Amino acid sequence: MTIFITLVDVTLRGLVGRRRTVLLVLLAVLPIGLALLARLGGETPDAAAALDALVVRIVLPLIALVFGTAALGAEIEDGTAVYLLTKPIARLHIVVAKVVVAALLTAALVAPSALVTGLLMGGGDEGLAATLAVTPAVIIGSLLYAAAFVAISVITTRALVIGLVYVVIWEGILAGILVGTRIFSIREAVLGFAGVLAPDAWESGLEAAQAVALALVVVIGGIALGARRLAVHEVRGGD
Amino acid sequence: MTADATPRPGGDPPIPSGSIYDLGYRGYDGPRLGRRHAVGALFTHTLLSCYGIGRGGRAKIIPFVLAGIAVLPAVIAVGLVALARQAGQAGEFITDASPIRYETYFEIVGQIVALFCAAQAPELLGRDQRYSVLSLYFSRALERTDYAIAKLGGFVVALLALVLAPQIILVLGLTLSSPDLAEGLGENLPKVPPILAQAVTLSAVFGSLSLAIAAFTPRRAYATAGIIASFIIPPVVAEIAREVTSRDISRWFVLASPPDVIGATNAFFFDIRPDSSVIAAARHPGELYLVVAALAVAACTGILIRRYQRISA
Amino acid sequence: MSGQGAAPAIELDHVSRWYGNVVAVNDISFSLGAGVTGLLGPNGAGKSTLLHMLAGLLRPSAGRLTVGGEPAWRNPSLYRRIGLVPEREAVHAFLTGFEFARMNARLQRLPDPDAAAARAIRTVDLESAAHRPIGTYSKGMRQRAKIAGALVHEPTILLLDEPFNGMDPRQRLHMIALLRGMAAEGRTILFSSHILEEVERLADEVLVIHAGRLAASGDFRQIRRLMTDRPHTFRIRSSDDRALGAALVAQPAVFGVELTDGRLIARVGDYGAFTAGLATTAKRAAVSLYEVAPTDDSLESVFAYLVRR
Repeated sequence: MTIFITLVDVTLRGLVGRRRTVLLVLLAVLPIGLALLARLGGETPDAAAALDALVVRIVLPLIALVFGTAALGAEIEDGTAVYLLTKPIARLHIVVAKVVVAALLTAALVAPSALVTGLLMGGGDEGLAATLAVTPAVIIGSLLYAAAFVAISVITTRALVIGLVYVVIWEGILAGILVGTRIFSIREAVLGFAGVLAPDAWESGLEAAQAVALALVVVIGGIALGARRLAVHEVRGGD
Repeated sequence: MTADATPRPGGDPPIPSGSIYDLGYRGYDGPRLGRRHAVGALFTHTLLSCYGIGRGGRAKIIPFVLAGIAVLPAVIAVGLVALARQAGQAGEFITDASPIRYETYFEIVGQIVALFCAAQAPELLGRDQRYSVLSLYFSRALERTDYAIAKLGGFVVALLALVLAPQIILVLGLTLSSPDLAEGLGENLPKVPPILAQAVTLSAVFGSLSLAIAAFTPRRAYATAGIIASFIIPPVVAEIAREVTSRDISRWFVLASPPDVIGATNAFFFDIRPDSSVIAAARHPGELYLVVAALAVAACTGILIRRYQRISA
Repeated sequence: MSGQGAAPAIELDHVSRWYGNVVAVNDISFSLGAGVTGLLGPNGAGKSTLLHMLAGLLRPSAGRLTVGGEPAWRNPSLYRRIGLVPEREAVHAFLTGFEFARMNARLQRLPDPDAAAARAIRTVDLESAAHRPIGTYSKGMRQRAKIAGALVHEPTILLLDEPFNGMDPRQRLHMIALLRGMAAEGRTILFSSHILEEVERLADEVLVIHAGRLAASGDFRQIRRLMTDRPHTFRIRSSDDRALGAALVAQPAVFGVELTDGRLIARVGDYGAFTAGLATTAKRAAVSLYEVAPTDDSLESVFAYLVRR
């Protein structure tokens, strides 16, 4: 257990406290700001649609992308991963700790963002249901994205760009056009989870069974893949 | 060569005496081109390296592919029009209905330009920062501000080339394929000033914004992400604001969204109605967008210069 | 080369490593036991690649490589017994020196990480700065922090990649004393360097590696002696250099003599025959010998010769 806590501690301290964290916090606060303005304007808009557009489509994946690719990827890139790898601990423990930290940090920013934005938007009972449904969904989504991006960051140093392409092009464009690819989209799974809790507000996501299946595959598969690749990860010397 | 100081094989300690060998190093006493030439050289280098010229083959892939995609619709349009003219009267329908025209082209190519910025701006600034080359630049006749301005100038001109190339093809193609040359000139030449104005505005705004973002991190991936975010997020925010907040508040969001501002200046220069509903809903005078664009360019340039004045090299 | 009766701590058997067309380590075999061994070679020779293979961070493309009797690749439990000090400067800059050592201690599953960390910090003489972030350290302090991290679990096998990088002479002497002490306790220490003086001062034995191949191994004086096709050089001061020189030239073991600047330089082929017969030759020539010194027995000349080959 100490091992796990040590890994979490080192990863946490490495991720937080940089300039980029401030930018991510600003990004998470953005929807809240908009919601405040909406309130001041006196409108009662469709909370679900707004939350979907902003928090689920943009804030969640981008924050998860930065934390997920940096949790292990930054250490691999700057060479400090050696100190974790040359220890008698299973590679699985390392990957799990990284995923947990990335997921926690993402959720810590995105869940309040979703919750406060939704509450401010109002919308009566329906709006409240939508908000209370999407908040746990984005927490699950944080875990899914974290597992995926940490795994990618072990495989390649270009994880951030690949993650960007996935979010912007795959999830953003293709999944809208090619309906069959929705089953491979984490965003659709998040919407599906929200739909489980508030089916009227969140209709467009995956079915419950599909969402759960995708979640299991991504989390278990991502962590397993990351651990396997980390076990054969080679660190070249300077020579 | 004096024999004394030669180290002998066998490792004998050399007998103490000193002489310096004339291995060919020479000082330089000739004329030195000054600061202006340094700035010009950096400007040219920046412009060329945006397209990968002077770097390896791999560096040319992205810029040339993007340039190709940018030019393709223009080539297709010219081809279509030429064919249509052959068809006579029926062809006029085609030419009128063609979606590829000067005024709509900027919207098409704007996305290409955004991708180009996200790909190339980090390359321009990030590599110098990452490999600690800045100290070499600053110890020349080049001032810190000059570096920033030269980079900005080179990049904006590169974007101009990207934006104007298809437009030039369109102008030439449409003019030359019209049955009466004078008529063709009369139709197409008046479009040139708005084309130029919009091209300059688009290049300046996108270019200065991308560089301002890219200047702050040596890691290219973060800069790319930041630039893409700055093109994607503000329009979405503006759109949502229009839906959820009152008109008085939401109309100001559109001014913070680079793609929308450029869309609005496009409408202003070509004197057409803007496509985007967000812009239409905001109901600002066209001149306001121009002012905002100019202010944005000034602000980003200022940020860029200040960053390079303060960066430790 | 191990010298001890026990199984060698490190054993390589025709180990190679290549990256595509580039061969970084080319068919190297050796075995090491307790003591300090220096891995000497110019930049790009393959020292880091070799050390990283021993540390289980790289997979050998061919051959067998065992550390502590087990293969190093994909063997995390082996890290209880190995410590690695990598060459790259990067350390978690936001941790203090003590926290870094303690992190290593905790990840090593030590029962008392705090005490182990404190001990390691004391050993590398970093106590005064131990509670400042590593980001504020000088290069030499950073090296010492890395070494402290590798020592917390008191490994039996210690691998150091260019450990003296950035250290000033005082720190270097301290580190040399530390490593010698550890070797005397029976540990196996392998360190790489391209600086000859360090290797000369610290290592009991030397592995010379050049362009991925093992050029020589063993005590460097022995290596020198084995290079019979290259003449040894002796510097001699005597009561009558010219007479001694004339007498020496007559000997078959001597290739040539040179009289310069108050000394007699003799270039010699057969080391043994020459040294055995020098006293007799001098006596017969009625010359007193004041000083006889081999001038090129240094590691530098050995190395230069091997590398130029």
